[in-house]
Amino acid sequence: MSSEIELQIAPIVQESLMHNSRTFQNLQSLTASLFGVSAGILGLESYSGFLFYIIFSLLTSVLFYIIRVAPTSISSGKKPLDTSRYFLGAVDFWTGGLMNGLAGFILTWTLFYGLVSA
Amino acid sequence: MAQVPVQTIHRDPQLFYWILFPITIVMVLTGILRHYATVLMASAPKKLDQKTMREQRGLVHGINVRGNFHTLSKRSFNARRDALITAYESGAYLKDPENQGQPPPNPLSDPGSMEGMMGMMKNQMAMIIPNTLIMSWINAFFSGYVIMKLPFPLTIKFKSMLQAGVATKDMDPRWMSSISWYFLCIFGLQSVFNFILGNDNAANQMAQQMGQMGPQTAQMFGPGVDPNKQFLAEAENLAVIDHYSVLDNVEDRLLKSIRV
Amino acid sequence: MTFISKAITAVGGILLAHACYSAQEHSALQSFRATSGAALTSAPTTAVSLPLDIVLETIVSTFIILLGLVLVTRPLRPIQWREWAGKIEREGEEGFKDSNGEVNKDYIGNPFAIFESRPNFVDIRKQRKEFAQWVKKEGGQKAQ
Repeated sequence: MSSEIELQIAPIVQESLMHNSRTFQNLQSLTASLFGVSAGILGLESYSGFLFYIIFSLLTSVLFYIIRVAPTSISSGKKPLDTSRYFLGAVDFWTGGLMNGLAGFILTWTLFYGLVSA
Repeated sequence: MAQVPVQTIHRDPQLFYWILFPITIVMVLTGILRHYATVLMASAPKKLDQKTMREQRGLVHGINVRGNFHTLSKRSFNARRDALITAYESGAYLKDPENQGQPPPNPLSDPGSMEGMMGMMKNQMAMIIPNTLIMSWINAFFSGYVIMKLPFPLTIKFKSMLQAGVATKDMDPRWMSSISWYFLCIFGLQSVFNFILGNDNAANQMAQQMGQMGPQTAQMFGPGVDPNKQFLAEAENLAVIDHYSVLDNVEDRLLKSIRV
Repeated sequence: MTFISKAITAVGGILLAHACYSAQEHSALQSFRATSGAALTSAPTTAVSLPLDIVLETIVSTFIILLGLVLVTRPLRPIQWREWAGKIEREGEEGFKDSNGEVNKDYIGNPFAIFESRPNFVDIRKQRKEFAQWVKKEGGQKAQ
């Protein structure tokens, strides 16, 4: 109940929220395909490939935070690594992209694995 | 521990040019075509007559009051609540107040609801027809080729799916035939379409199926729903609201925020 | 900004393409050596992993493209109404340029603009005073 009142006192702009998450999701699905390309070139197989994907998508989140989120959110008095100025859930921000781009990753991974190590 | 030798199959590189690329290109182009077909076939929202509009807006008004009661003062909220509840219970907003107690008409006989169903049918068609066409095209031309090796191991159960039309016993399930490349394309091309067509594209059928899971707002005024019952339910919802305002204790919060 | 990020992405893309080509050549060479070497010596040919420079090139180019792609993303918007409204009020159209320097399509200006101009809030006394001054000034000019 208290969080509901909090939300009503400081309301959220739905359009901005959608704009932010869409920007981030676009980036994630695009970069997931890119990681698939490089995993295929490296010829990674099974677990090492998925590990590569996880590491690089976390890296994407970190880079996105550093470049887009951090400059304005720290100057507005938020703690480092706090994304609440632009995104609602912190867990969603840091790991939500993993599921998002997995299909694209597997597609390009398979394609380039097949092309390179033919 | 005996090392399992890695299966290697020497494939003709021509397989890539004549199977892999055609399938991929056709999938991408079909996605783009589907997007534009959906855009073209989208019918403009039908004009509603005044009575229907009043019925819908009356309900939306109640829902909005219920959702935003915290921004109203107690007095004005009570005034709105009383007015809306009396109007709902007397059926003042109903489209045709005389058949209040009757069961809703058959949705198939109502021409207005037929329109909506046609729209859904068209969308379904735009998904199903290209899929069946491409499936049968791949089956007719490219079945029985092993074209690629998956970079991750799979259990034996996937063999029948991935190697459809190859039918050899000893082959590793990682080898996949052309039809499984088609399935991979279905699942993985969303990012490509995002890149080409922008975000709200209708190219990928997966996204469309997701969208059909939760169209609750469209269901609200859908055919076969008795508006009188909706009004009565809404009146009950309004009646049980325990009102408070966001401006309660605002002076305390203000003092707390300016005291450093 | 946009030119820099696009250039970064392009450089990364070229590097990645080069790495892809090198890896392809490498594996082709390996398989050729395996087939020709098996005829001469019966020693078992082991699969040689990718040389270090190609691996490094791939990872570095991936990172470069990633950097470029992150730089092209559109700027975010604050999700709290008070910060968002403050941004609109302070920056106006300037805050909504995308990377090409054009104002975003969905920019609608201050959503509360209608409240600023509603008749209840017009300071009628001030306007009256201004009008009286204007009349006095105009009248004085005409008389001269």
